[in-house]
Amino acid sequence: MKKLATCRKIKGSRIILHLCLLVSSVIMVMPFIWLVFTSFKEKADIISVTPTLLPRLWTLSNYIKLPEVAPFLRFFFNSFFISLISTLFVIIGCPMAGYIFAKYKFRGQTFLFLLIMATILVPLQTYMIPLYLIMKSFGWINTYQGMIFPLIIMSSGIFFLRQNILTIPDELIDACRMDGCSEFGVFWRIIFPLSFAATAAIAIVNWVFTWSQVFIWYLVMANSEKLFTMELGLMYFQRHYVTDYGGIMAACVITVLPILIFFLIFRRRIIEGVSLTGMKY
Amino acid sequence: MARKKHSYLRRWLGRRGSIKRSQILFILTIFVPLISLFMIIRIIPIGATLGTAFTNMHLIRPVTKFVGMKNFIRLLEDKQFISAFFNSIEYVVVAVPLEIGLGLLFALMLSRKIKFEALYETLYFIPYILPMVPAAIVWKWFYSPGSFGLANYLLESVGLDRVPWMSNPRIALLATIGIHVWKNLGYFMIIFLVALKNVPAEMREASKVDGATIWQTIRHIELPLIKPVILYGMVMATVWSWSAFTEVYIMTQGTDISTGAEIQVLIYRVFQEAFVYHSMGKGCAISFVVFLISLVIILVQFKIFRWGEK
Repeated sequence: MKKLATCRKIKGSRIILHLCLLVSSVIMVMPFIWLVFTSFKEKADIISVTPTLLPRLWTLSNYIKLPEVAPFLRFFFNSFFISLISTLFVIIGCPMAGYIFAKYKFRGQTFLFLLIMATILVPLQTYMIPLYLIMKSFGWINTYQGMIFPLIIMSSGIFFLRQNILTIPDELIDACRMDGCSEFGVFWRIIFPLSFAATAAIAIVNWVFTWSQVFIWYLVMANSEKLFTMELGLMYFQRHYVTDYGGIMAACVITVLPILIFFLIFRRRIIEGVSLTGMKY
Repeated sequence: MARKKHSYLRRWLGRRGSIKRSQILFILTIFVPLISLFMIIRIIPIGATLGTAFTNMHLIRPVTKFVGMKNFIRLLEDKQFISAFFNSIEYVVVAVPLEIGLGLLFALMLSRKIKFEALYETLYFIPYILPMVPAAIVWKWFYSPGSFGLANYLLESVGLDRVPWMSNPRIALLATIGIHVWKNLGYFMIIFLVALKNVPAEMREASKVDGATIWQTIRHIELPLIKPVILYGMVMATVWSWSAFTEVYIMTQGTDISTGAEIQVLIYRVFQEAFVYHSMGKGCAISFVVFLISLVIILVQFKIFRWGEK
Protein backbone atom coordinates (compact mmCIF):
# COMPACT_ATOMS: atom_id res chain seq x y z
CA MET A 1 0.00 0.00 0.00
CA LYS A 2 2.74 2.36 0.99
CA LYS A 3 4.74 1.35 -2.04
CA LEU A 4 1.83 2.22 -4.30
CA ALA A 5 1.58 5.66 -2.73
CA THR A 6 5.29 6.41 -3.32
CA CYS A 7 4.90 5.10 -6.83
CA ARG A 8 2.07 7.53 -7.45
CA LYS A 9 4.04 10.33 -5.84
CA ILE A 10 7.01 9.64 -8.08
CA LYS A 11 4.74 9.56 -11.11
CA GLY A 12 3.22 12.90 -10.08
CA SER A 13 6.60 14.53 -9.68
CA ARG A 14 7.66 13.08 -13.04
CA ILE A 15 4.70 14.75 -14.72
CA ILE A 16 5.54 18.08 -13.10
CA LEU A 17 9.15 17.65 -14.22
CA HIS A 18 8.06 16.97 -17.78
CA LEU A 19 5.74 19.97 -17.69
CA CYS A 20 8.56 22.28 -16.55
CA LEU A 21 10.90 20.94 -19.20
CA LEU A 22 8.31 21.15 -21.93
CA VAL A 23 7.30 24.74 -21.14
CA SER A 24 10.89 25.98 -20.85
CA SER A 25 12.07 24.21 -23.99
CA VAL A 26 9.15 25.64 -25.95
CA ILE A 27 10.11 29.10 -24.68
CA MET A 28 13.66 28.44 -25.88
CA VAL A 29 12.64 27.69 -29.46
CA MET A 30 9.55 29.94 -29.58
CA PRO A 31 11.34 32.85 -31.29
CA PHE A 32 12.32 30.55 -34.16
CA ILE A 33 8.88 29.02 -34.48
CA TRP A 34 7.34 32.47 -34.53
CA LEU A 35 9.94 33.55 -37.08
CA VAL A 36 9.16 30.71 -39.44
CA PHE A 37 5.39 31.26 -39.37
CA THR A 38 5.74 35.02 -39.70
CA SER A 39 7.83 34.63 -42.83
CA PHE A 40 4.80 33.06 -44.52
CA LYS A 41 2.44 35.89 -43.51
CA GLU A 42 1.21 38.76 -45.61
CA LYS A 43 2.19 42.28 -44.68
CA ALA A 44 -1.16 43.29 -43.20
CA ASP A 45 -1.18 40.08 -41.20
CA ILE A 46 2.29 40.74 -39.71
CA ILE A 47 1.50 44.18 -38.32
CA SER A 48 -2.01 43.22 -37.24
CA VAL A 49 -2.95 44.36 -33.72
CA THR A 50 -4.13 40.86 -32.79
CA PRO A 51 -1.21 38.66 -33.80
CA THR A 52 -1.74 34.96 -34.34
CA LEU A 53 0.92 32.29 -34.47
CA LEU A 54 -0.27 30.74 -37.73
CA PRO A 55 -0.65 32.91 -40.82
CA ARG A 56 -4.25 33.76 -41.67
CA LEU A 57 -3.28 33.42 -45.29
CA TRP A 58 -0.17 31.48 -46.28
CA THR A 59 1.98 33.23 -48.85
CA LEU A 60 5.38 32.67 -50.42
CA SER A 61 5.74 36.25 -51.65
CA ASN A 62 8.30 37.13 -48.96
CA TYR A 63 10.62 34.44 -50.25
CA ILE A 64 10.03 34.98 -53.94
CA LYS A 65 11.19 38.58 -53.87
CA LEU A 66 14.35 37.83 -51.82
CA PRO A 67 16.74 36.96 -54.68
CA GLU A 68 15.78 40.19 -56.45
CA VAL A 69 16.90 42.42 -53.59
CA ALA A 70 19.92 40.61 -52.16
CA PRO A 71 22.10 37.79 -53.54
CA PHE A 72 21.55 35.31 -50.74
CA LEU A 73 22.99 32.49 -52.79
CA ARG A 74 26.24 34.39 -52.99
CA PHE A 75 26.16 35.04 -49.22
CA PHE A 76 25.59 31.35 -48.66
CA PHE A 77 28.56 30.49 -50.86
CA ASN A 78 30.78 32.94 -48.95
CA SER A 79 29.84 31.46 -45.58
CA PHE A 80 30.31 27.98 -46.95
CA PHE A 81 33.70 28.75 -48.49
CA ILE A 82 35.08 30.41 -45.35
CA SER A 83 33.94 27.54 -43.12
CA LEU A 84 35.31 24.98 -45.56
CA ILE A 85 38.83 26.42 -45.85
CA SER A 86 39.09 27.06 -42.12
CA THR A 87 37.90 23.55 -41.33
CA LEU A 88 40.37 21.95 -43.79
CA PHE A 89 43.23 23.72 -42.01
CA VAL A 90 41.89 22.61 -38.64
CA ILE A 91 41.56 18.99 -39.79
CA ILE A 92 45.24 18.88 -40.75
CA GLY A 93 46.72 21.26 -38.18
CA CYS A 94 45.07 20.12 -34.96
CA PRO A 95 46.11 16.43 -35.10
CA MET A 96 49.66 17.36 -36.11
CA ALA A 97 50.06 19.84 -33.28
CA GLY A 98 48.27 17.42 -30.96
CA TYR A 99 50.71 14.64 -31.95
CA ILE A 100 53.74 16.79 -31.23
CA PHE A 101 52.40 17.99 -27.91
CA ALA A 102 51.37 14.50 -26.86
CA LYS A 103 54.29 12.35 -27.96
CA TYR A 104 57.34 14.61 -28.23
CA LYS A 105 59.46 15.95 -25.41
CA PHE A 106 61.54 19.02 -26.06
CA ARG A 107 62.49 22.29 -24.48
CA GLY A 108 59.78 24.95 -24.45
CA GLN A 109 57.05 22.48 -25.24
CA THR A 110 55.12 22.86 -21.98
CA PHE A 111 55.39 26.61 -22.18
CA LEU A 112 53.97 26.67 -25.72
CA PHE A 113 51.18 24.34 -24.72
CA LEU A 114 50.21 26.53 -21.79
CA LEU A 115 50.29 29.55 -24.10
CA ILE A 116 47.85 27.83 -26.47
CA MET A 117 45.60 26.84 -23.58
CA ALA A 118 45.58 30.39 -22.26
CA THR A 119 44.40 31.80 -25.59
CA ILE A 120 41.27 29.63 -25.42
CA LEU A 121 40.02 32.07 -22.80
CA VAL A 122 40.69 35.23 -24.83
CA PRO A 123 37.87 36.07 -27.25
CA LEU A 124 38.80 37.34 -30.70
CA GLN A 125 37.00 40.66 -30.27
CA THR A 126 39.44 41.78 -27.57
CA TYR A 127 42.49 41.65 -29.86
CA MET A 128 40.87 42.36 -33.21
CA ILE A 129 42.48 45.80 -33.65
CA PRO A 130 46.11 44.60 -34.06
CA LEU A 131 44.82 41.62 -36.01
CA TYR A 132 43.12 44.06 -38.36
CA LEU A 133 46.35 46.08 -38.65
CA ILE A 134 48.33 42.91 -39.47
CA MET A 135 45.82 42.01 -42.18
CA LYS A 136 46.09 45.58 -43.45
CA SER A 137 49.88 45.31 -43.69
CA PHE A 138 49.39 42.12 -45.73
CA GLY A 139 46.94 44.03 -47.93
CA TRP A 140 44.25 41.53 -47.03
CA ILE A 141 41.45 43.86 -45.96
CA ASN A 142 38.24 42.98 -47.78
CA THR A 143 39.54 39.64 -49.09
CA TYR A 144 38.69 36.02 -48.38
CA GLN A 145 42.17 35.26 -47.06
CA GLY A 146 41.87 38.11 -44.56
CA MET A 147 38.54 36.80 -43.32
CA ILE A 148 39.81 33.21 -43.04
CA PHE A 149 43.35 33.73 -41.75
CA PRO A 150 42.63 34.18 -38.01
CA LEU A 151 40.37 31.15 -38.08
CA ILE A 152 42.82 28.51 -39.30
CA ILE A 153 44.16 27.52 -35.88
CA MET A 154 41.82 26.28 -33.19
CA SER A 155 43.43 26.35 -29.76
CA SER A 156 40.77 24.29 -28.03
CA GLY A 157 41.01 21.75 -30.87
CA ILE A 158 44.76 21.33 -30.32
CA PHE A 159 44.12 20.78 -26.62
CA PHE A 160 41.36 18.27 -27.28
CA LEU A 161 43.43 16.30 -29.79
CA ARG A 162 46.48 16.21 -27.56
CA GLN A 163 44.36 14.62 -24.84
CA ASN A 164 43.05 12.14 -27.39
CA ILE A 165 46.45 11.24 -28.89
CA LEU A 166 47.92 10.69 -25.41
CA THR A 167 45.78 7.54 -25.23
CA ILE A 168 47.45 6.02 -28.32
CA PRO A 169 50.08 3.54 -27.01
CA ASP A 170 53.74 4.45 -27.61
CA GLU A 171 54.52 0.84 -28.65
CA LEU A 172 52.37 1.25 -31.73
CA ILE A 173 54.30 4.36 -32.79
CA ASP A 174 57.66 2.71 -32.05
CA ALA A 175 56.70 -0.39 -34.02
CA CYS A 176 55.80 1.80 -36.97
CA ARG A 177 59.17 3.58 -36.70
CA MET A 178 60.96 0.22 -36.57
CA ASP A 179 59.28 -0.72 -39.81
CA GLY A 180 60.98 2.25 -41.36
CA CYS A 181 58.25 4.86 -41.27
CA SER A 182 59.26 8.50 -41.25
CA GLU A 183 57.50 10.80 -38.80
CA PHE A 184 55.09 11.77 -41.56
CA GLY A 185 54.43 8.09 -42.07
CA VAL A 186 53.72 7.62 -38.38
CA PHE A 187 51.36 10.55 -38.45
CA TRP A 188 49.60 9.44 -41.59
CA ARG A 189 49.37 5.71 -40.79
CA ILE A 190 48.87 5.72 -37.01
CA ILE A 191 47.99 9.06 -35.49
CA PHE A 192 45.58 10.45 -38.06
CA PRO A 193 43.41 7.32 -38.44
CA LEU A 194 43.33 6.55 -34.71
CA SER A 195 42.38 10.10 -33.69
CA PHE A 196 40.00 10.58 -36.58
CA ALA A 197 36.83 10.49 -34.47
CA ALA A 198 38.15 13.32 -32.33
CA THR A 199 39.28 15.24 -35.40
CA ALA A 200 35.84 14.89 -36.94
CA ALA A 201 34.23 16.26 -33.76
CA ILE A 202 36.60 19.21 -33.82
CA ALA A 203 35.98 19.82 -37.51
CA ILE A 204 32.21 19.91 -37.03
CA VAL A 205 32.50 22.27 -34.07
CA ASN A 206 34.85 24.47 -36.07
CA TRP A 207 32.38 24.54 -38.93
CA VAL A 208 29.57 25.77 -36.68
CA PHE A 209 31.90 28.22 -34.98
CA THR A 210 33.14 29.86 -38.17
CA TRP A 211 29.64 29.89 -39.58
CA SER A 212 27.82 31.53 -36.73
CA GLN A 213 30.06 32.84 -33.95
CA VAL A 214 32.63 35.23 -35.45
CA PHE A 215 30.25 37.83 -36.80
CA ILE A 216 32.35 40.75 -35.51
CA TRP A 217 35.45 39.70 -37.46
CA TYR A 218 33.54 39.42 -40.75
CA LEU A 219 31.89 42.76 -39.97
CA VAL A 220 35.30 44.39 -39.61
CA MET A 221 36.92 42.72 -42.61
CA ALA A 222 34.27 42.59 -45.35
CA ASN A 223 33.20 45.91 -46.84
CA SER A 224 31.82 44.84 -50.17
CA GLU A 225 28.65 42.94 -50.82
CA LYS A 226 30.60 40.32 -52.77
CA LEU A 227 32.29 39.05 -49.59
CA PHE A 228 29.32 39.20 -47.21
CA THR A 229 28.59 36.10 -45.18
CA MET A 230 24.96 35.20 -44.55
CA GLU A 231 24.78 37.17 -41.33
CA LEU A 232 26.31 40.27 -42.90
CA GLY A 233 23.96 39.87 -45.83
CA LEU A 234 21.06 39.78 -43.42
CA MET A 235 22.27 42.99 -41.75
CA TYR A 236 22.62 44.64 -45.16
CA PHE A 237 19.16 43.53 -46.19
CA GLN A 238 17.68 44.68 -42.92
CA ARG A 239 19.19 48.13 -43.25
CA HIS A 240 17.83 48.68 -46.71
CA TYR A 241 14.33 47.28 -46.24
CA VAL A 242 13.55 48.76 -42.89
CA THR A 243 9.81 48.22 -42.68
CA ASP A 244 9.52 45.15 -44.87
CA TYR A 245 9.07 42.81 -41.91
CA GLY A 246 7.96 39.90 -44.03
CA GLY A 247 11.10 40.16 -46.16
CA ILE A 248 13.35 40.48 -43.09
CA MET A 249 11.76 37.44 -41.49
CA ALA A 250 12.15 35.40 -44.67
CA ALA A 251 15.80 36.48 -44.87
CA CYS A 252 16.26 35.44 -41.22
CA VAL A 253 14.83 32.01 -42.02
CA ILE A 254 17.20 31.65 -44.98
CA THR A 255 20.13 32.60 -42.73
CA VAL A 256 19.18 30.15 -40.01
CA LEU A 257 18.27 27.24 -42.25
CA PRO A 258 21.67 25.90 -43.45
CA ILE A 259 23.21 25.70 -40.00
CA LEU A 260 20.00 24.31 -38.50
CA ILE A 261 20.02 21.46 -41.03
CA PHE A 262 23.70 20.90 -40.32
CA PHE A 263 22.95 20.78 -36.59
CA LEU A 264 20.10 18.32 -36.96
CA ILE A 265 22.31 15.99 -39.05
CA PHE A 266 25.32 16.07 -36.69
CA ARG A 267 23.35 16.70 -33.50
CA ARG A 268 25.04 14.07 -31.31
CA ARG A 269 28.56 14.98 -32.42
CA ILE A 270 28.02 18.72 -32.14
CA ILE A 271 26.65 18.46 -28.61
CA GLU A 272 29.54 16.21 -27.58
CA GLY A 273 32.17 18.31 -29.29
CA VAL A 274 30.84 21.60 -27.99
CA SER A 275 30.63 20.34 -24.43
CA LEU A 276 34.29 19.33 -24.69
CA THR A 277 35.73 22.37 -26.44
CA GLY A 278 33.35 25.22 -25.73
CA MET A 279 33.29 26.28 -29.38
CA LYS A 280 35.41 29.36 -28.80
CA TYR A 281 38.97 29.91 -29.82
CA MET B 1 78.86 21.56 -41.30
CA ALA B 2 75.17 21.67 -41.77
CA ARG B 3 74.88 18.37 -40.04
CA LYS B 4 76.75 19.67 -37.04
CA LYS B 5 74.41 22.64 -36.71
CA HIS B 6 71.54 20.22 -36.78
CA SER B 7 72.93 18.32 -33.83
CA TYR B 8 73.33 21.50 -31.78
CA LEU B 9 69.66 22.20 -32.29
CA ARG B 10 68.94 18.66 -31.24
CA ARG B 11 70.94 18.97 -28.07
CA TRP B 12 69.26 22.26 -27.22
CA LEU B 13 65.76 20.95 -27.82
CA GLY B 14 65.95 17.57 -26.17
CA ARG B 15 67.30 16.46 -22.84
CA ARG B 16 69.18 13.14 -22.73
CA GLY B 17 68.73 12.56 -26.43
CA SER B 18 64.98 12.23 -26.24
CA ILE B 19 64.64 13.66 -29.73
CA LYS B 20 65.53 11.72 -32.86
CA ARG B 21 66.72 13.22 -36.10
CA SER B 22 63.56 12.43 -38.00
CA GLN B 23 61.61 14.11 -35.25
CA ILE B 24 63.66 17.26 -35.66
CA LEU B 25 62.70 17.26 -39.31
CA PHE B 26 59.03 16.90 -38.38
CA ILE B 27 59.27 19.70 -35.85
CA LEU B 28 60.96 22.00 -38.35
CA THR B 29 58.57 21.37 -41.21
CA ILE B 30 55.27 21.13 -39.35
CA PHE B 31 55.52 22.48 -35.87
CA VAL B 32 57.55 25.62 -36.53
CA PRO B 33 55.20 26.95 -39.25
CA LEU B 34 52.18 26.05 -37.13
CA ILE B 35 53.51 27.83 -34.08
CA SER B 36 54.57 30.85 -36.12
CA LEU B 37 51.04 31.07 -37.50
CA PHE B 38 49.72 30.78 -34.00
CA MET B 39 52.01 33.61 -32.92
CA ILE B 40 50.85 35.84 -35.79
CA ILE B 41 47.14 35.36 -35.25
CA ARG B 42 46.99 35.08 -31.45
CA ILE B 43 50.02 36.01 -29.39
CA ILE B 44 51.30 39.00 -31.37
CA PRO B 45 47.85 40.65 -31.61
CA ILE B 46 47.24 40.10 -27.91
CA GLY B 47 50.63 41.57 -27.04
CA ALA B 48 50.20 44.39 -29.54
CA THR B 49 46.84 45.29 -28.00
CA LEU B 50 48.56 45.89 -24.70
CA GLY B 51 51.34 47.89 -26.40
CA THR B 52 49.17 50.00 -28.70
CA ALA B 53 47.07 51.05 -25.71
CA PHE B 54 49.91 53.41 -24.75
CA THR B 55 50.22 55.08 -28.16
CA ASN B 56 48.18 57.65 -30.05
CA MET B 57 47.85 55.41 -33.10
CA HIS B 58 45.26 56.63 -35.56
CA LEU B 59 44.63 55.22 -39.02
CA ILE B 60 44.67 58.67 -40.62
CA ARG B 61 47.60 60.11 -38.66
CA PRO B 62 50.89 59.06 -40.30
CA VAL B 63 53.11 59.12 -37.20
CA THR B 64 52.43 57.07 -34.09
CA LYS B 65 53.87 58.27 -30.80
CA PHE B 66 54.13 56.83 -27.33
CA VAL B 67 51.80 58.81 -25.08
CA GLY B 68 52.02 56.93 -21.79
CA MET B 69 48.85 56.86 -19.74
CA LYS B 70 47.12 59.60 -21.72
CA ASN B 71 44.62 57.25 -23.35
CA PHE B 72 43.54 55.90 -19.99
CA ILE B 73 43.22 59.37 -18.46
CA ARG B 74 41.07 60.39 -21.41
CA LEU B 75 38.95 57.29 -20.93
CA LEU B 76 38.22 58.31 -17.35
CA GLU B 77 36.66 61.54 -18.65
CA ASP B 78 34.85 59.84 -21.50
CA LYS B 79 31.17 59.62 -20.56
CA GLN B 80 30.50 57.07 -23.31
CA PHE B 81 33.21 54.78 -21.96
CA ILE B 82 32.06 55.13 -18.36
CA SER B 83 28.49 54.22 -19.25
CA ALA B 84 29.70 51.31 -21.42
CA PHE B 85 31.88 50.11 -18.55
CA PHE B 86 29.00 50.00 -16.10
CA ASN B 87 26.72 48.44 -18.69
CA SER B 88 29.27 45.65 -19.12
CA ILE B 89 29.47 45.20 -15.36
CA GLU B 90 25.68 44.91 -15.31
CA TYR B 91 25.93 42.37 -18.14
CA VAL B 92 28.20 40.16 -16.07
CA VAL B 93 26.29 40.62 -12.81
CA VAL B 94 22.94 39.76 -14.39
CA ALA B 95 23.92 37.22 -17.06
CA VAL B 96 26.37 34.98 -15.17
CA PRO B 97 24.09 33.99 -12.25
CA LEU B 98 21.15 33.52 -14.63
CA GLU B 99 23.12 31.36 -17.05
CA ILE B 100 24.71 29.23 -14.32
CA GLY B 101 21.55 29.00 -12.21
CA LEU B 102 19.13 28.15 -15.01
CA GLY B 103 21.72 25.91 -16.69
CA LEU B 104 22.12 23.94 -13.48
CA LEU B 105 18.37 23.77 -12.94
CA PHE B 106 17.69 22.34 -16.41
CA ALA B 107 20.68 20.00 -16.18
CA LEU B 108 19.44 18.65 -12.83
CA MET B 109 15.97 18.11 -14.25
CA LEU B 110 17.32 16.36 -17.35
CA SER B 111 19.71 14.13 -15.40
CA ARG B 112 16.79 12.32 -13.67
CA LYS B 113 16.68 9.59 -16.37
CA ILE B 114 13.80 11.27 -18.07
CA LYS B 115 11.97 10.27 -21.26
CA PHE B 116 12.62 12.30 -24.43
CA GLU B 117 15.86 13.55 -22.90
CA ALA B 118 17.52 13.90 -26.31
CA LEU B 119 14.61 15.96 -27.60
CA TYR B 120 14.73 18.43 -24.70
CA GLU B 121 18.51 18.60 -24.98
CA THR B 122 18.23 19.50 -28.66
CA LEU B 123 15.57 22.14 -28.08
CA TYR B 124 17.63 23.85 -25.37
CA PHE B 125 20.72 23.69 -27.50
CA ILE B 126 19.30 25.14 -30.72
CA PRO B 127 19.61 28.83 -29.72
CA TYR B 128 23.29 28.34 -28.93
CA ILE B 129 24.15 26.82 -32.28
CA LEU B 130 22.28 29.26 -34.49
CA PRO B 131 23.71 32.61 -35.62
CA MET B 132 23.18 35.57 -33.31
CA VAL B 133 22.16 38.13 -35.96
CA PRO B 134 18.82 36.59 -37.01
CA ALA B 135 18.09 35.66 -33.39
CA ALA B 136 18.68 39.22 -32.22
CA ILE B 137 16.59 40.61 -35.08
CA VAL B 138 13.67 38.41 -34.07
CA TRP B 139 13.99 39.40 -30.41
CA LYS B 140 14.19 43.04 -31.35
CA TRP B 141 11.00 42.66 -33.29
CA PHE B 142 9.37 41.01 -30.26
CA TYR B 143 10.37 43.98 -28.15
CA SER B 144 9.15 46.57 -30.65
CA PRO B 145 6.97 49.33 -29.23
CA GLY B 146 3.27 49.87 -29.72
CA SER B 147 0.80 47.10 -30.22
CA PHE B 148 2.55 44.87 -32.73
CA GLY B 149 5.47 44.07 -30.45
CA LEU B 150 4.68 40.55 -29.39
CA ALA B 151 6.14 40.95 -25.89
CA ASN B 152 3.76 43.80 -25.14
CA TYR B 153 0.86 41.99 -26.76
CA LEU B 154 1.42 38.98 -24.51
CA LEU B 155 1.73 41.18 -21.43
CA GLU B 156 -1.53 42.94 -22.30
CA SER B 157 -3.35 39.70 -22.98
CA VAL B 158 -2.61 38.52 -19.43
CA GLY B 159 -3.70 41.92 -18.09
CA LEU B 160 -0.35 43.55 -17.41
CA ASP B 161 0.90 46.99 -18.46
CA ARG B 162 2.99 47.56 -21.54
CA VAL B 163 6.72 47.81 -20.96
CA PRO B 164 8.84 50.37 -22.84
CA TRP B 165 11.30 47.66 -23.95
CA MET B 166 13.28 49.79 -26.34
CA SER B 167 12.83 53.40 -25.20
CA ASN B 168 13.91 53.08 -21.56
CA PRO B 169 17.68 52.41 -21.55
CA ARG B 170 17.63 50.46 -18.28
CA ILE B 171 14.96 48.09 -19.56
CA ALA B 172 16.54 47.92 -23.03
CA LEU B 173 19.83 46.80 -21.50
CA LEU B 174 18.09 44.11 -19.46
CA ALA B 175 16.21 43.00 -22.57
CA THR B 176 19.52 42.73 -24.43
CA ILE B 177 21.03 40.72 -21.59
CA GLY B 178 17.95 38.53 -21.85
CA ILE B 179 18.86 37.73 -25.46
CA HIS B 180 22.41 36.88 -24.38
CA VAL B 181 21.23 34.55 -21.61
CA TRP B 182 18.67 32.87 -23.86
CA LYS B 183 21.35 32.29 -26.50
CA ASN B 184 24.06 30.81 -24.27
CA LEU B 185 21.94 28.93 -21.75
CA GLY B 186 22.07 25.71 -23.78
CA TYR B 187 25.83 25.51 -23.56
CA PHE B 188 25.90 25.66 -19.77
CA MET B 189 23.03 23.21 -19.52
CA ILE B 190 24.99 20.73 -21.66
CA ILE B 191 28.30 20.95 -19.77
CA PHE B 192 26.51 20.56 -16.43
CA LEU B 193 24.46 17.67 -17.77
CA VAL B 194 27.59 15.84 -18.97
CA ALA B 195 29.19 16.38 -15.55
CA LEU B 196 26.09 15.19 -13.69
CA LYS B 197 25.96 12.04 -15.79
CA ASN B 198 29.52 11.26 -14.72
CA VAL B 199 28.52 11.27 -11.04
CA PRO B 200 28.58 7.58 -10.07
CA ALA B 201 25.06 6.19 -9.68
CA GLU B 202 26.10 4.30 -6.52
CA MET B 203 26.65 7.56 -4.68
CA ARG B 204 23.11 8.71 -5.45
CA GLU B 205 21.68 5.36 -4.44
CA ALA B 206 23.74 5.25 -1.25
CA SER B 207 22.41 8.60 -0.17
CA LYS B 208 18.88 7.49 -1.03
CA VAL B 209 19.33 4.38 1.13
CA ASP B 210 20.54 6.61 3.94
CA GLY B 211 17.20 8.42 3.73
CA ALA B 212 18.31 11.64 2.08
CA THR B 213 15.71 13.67 0.20
CA ILE B 214 16.29 14.68 -3.41
CA TRP B 215 17.34 18.17 -2.33
CA GLN B 216 19.85 16.80 0.17
CA THR B 217 21.33 14.51 -2.48
CA ILE B 218 21.70 17.42 -4.88
CA ARG B 219 23.07 19.76 -2.26
CA HIS B 220 25.56 17.42 -0.58
CA ILE B 221 26.46 14.85 -3.25
CA GLU B 222 25.96 16.12 -6.77
CA LEU B 223 26.82 19.82 -6.56
CA PRO B 224 30.11 19.32 -4.68
CA LEU B 225 31.16 16.68 -7.19
CA ILE B 226 30.60 18.87 -10.25
CA LYS B 227 32.11 21.94 -8.61
CA PRO B 228 35.09 22.17 -11.02
CA VAL B 229 32.68 22.22 -13.95
CA ILE B 230 30.63 24.96 -12.29
CA LEU B 231 33.80 27.00 -11.86
CA TYR B 232 34.70 26.44 -15.52
CA GLY B 233 31.16 27.45 -16.50
CA MET B 234 31.37 30.60 -14.42
CA VAL B 235 34.65 31.61 -16.02
CA MET B 236 33.24 31.02 -19.50
CA ALA B 237 29.99 32.84 -18.74
CA THR B 238 31.98 35.78 -17.39
CA VAL B 239 34.28 36.00 -20.40
CA TRP B 240 31.40 35.78 -22.86
CA SER B 241 29.12 38.28 -21.19
CA TRP B 242 32.03 40.65 -20.56
CA SER B 243 32.93 40.59 -24.26
CA ALA B 244 29.38 40.53 -25.68
CA PHE B 245 28.89 42.48 -28.88
CA THR B 246 26.57 41.18 -31.59
CA GLU B 247 23.24 41.46 -29.78
CA VAL B 248 24.07 44.98 -28.61
CA TYR B 249 25.10 45.95 -32.13
CA ILE B 250 21.83 44.67 -33.58
CA MET B 251 19.73 46.30 -30.87
CA THR B 252 21.34 49.71 -31.37
CA GLN B 253 21.17 49.97 -35.12
CA GLY B 254 19.47 48.80 -38.23
CA THR B 255 15.73 49.08 -38.37
CA ASP B 256 13.48 51.98 -37.43
CA ILE B 257 12.87 50.68 -33.92
CA SER B 258 16.43 50.85 -32.58
CA THR B 259 17.35 51.63 -29.01
CA GLY B 260 19.65 54.53 -28.24
CA ALA B 261 23.38 54.14 -27.77
CA GLU B 262 22.83 54.14 -24.00
CA ILE B 263 22.97 50.36 -23.92
CA GLN B 264 26.45 50.09 -25.44
CA VAL B 265 29.02 47.80 -23.84
CA LEU B 266 32.83 47.76 -23.82
CA ILE B 267 33.45 45.77 -27.00
CA TYR B 268 30.92 47.98 -28.75
CA ARG B 269 33.04 50.96 -27.71
CA VAL B 270 36.17 49.20 -29.02
CA PHE B 271 34.41 48.68 -32.34
CA GLN B 272 33.25 52.29 -32.51
CA GLU B 273 36.59 53.84 -31.56
CA ALA B 274 38.68 51.62 -33.81
CA PHE B 275 36.55 50.97 -36.87
CA VAL B 276 34.24 54.00 -36.98
CA TYR B 277 36.54 56.78 -35.68
CA HIS B 278 39.78 54.92 -36.63
CA SER B 279 41.34 55.77 -33.27
CA MET B 280 43.30 52.53 -32.79
CA GLY B 281 45.17 53.69 -29.68
CA LYS B 282 42.00 54.46 -27.80
CA GLY B 283 40.35 51.28 -28.97
CA CYS B 284 43.29 49.25 -27.68
CA ALA B 285 43.18 51.12 -24.37
CA ILE B 286 39.59 49.95 -23.95
CA SER B 287 40.64 46.40 -24.90
CA PHE B 288 43.36 46.65 -22.27
CA VAL B 289 40.72 47.48 -19.67
CA VAL B 290 38.65 44.52 -20.91
CA PHE B 291 41.64 42.17 -20.45
CA LEU B 292 42.57 43.50 -17.06
CA ILE B 293 39.11 43.45 -15.50
CA SER B 294 38.25 40.00 -16.86
CA LEU B 295 41.51 38.68 -15.41
CA VAL B 296 40.59 40.18 -12.03
CA ILE B 297 37.07 38.74 -12.12
CA ILE B 298 38.39 35.27 -13.05
CA LEU B 299 40.96 35.36 -10.23
CA VAL B 300 38.27 36.40 -7.75
CA GLN B 301 36.10 33.49 -8.90
CA PHE B 302 38.99 31.06 -8.38
CA LYS B 303 39.63 32.52 -4.93
CA ILE B 304 35.99 32.21 -3.92
CA PHE B 305 35.92 28.57 -5.00
CA ARG B 306 39.17 27.76 -3.17
CA TRP B 307 37.89 29.53 -0.09
CA GLY B 308 34.68 27.52 -0.26
CA GLU B 309 36.72 24.31 -0.18
CA LYS B 310 38.35 25.10 3.14
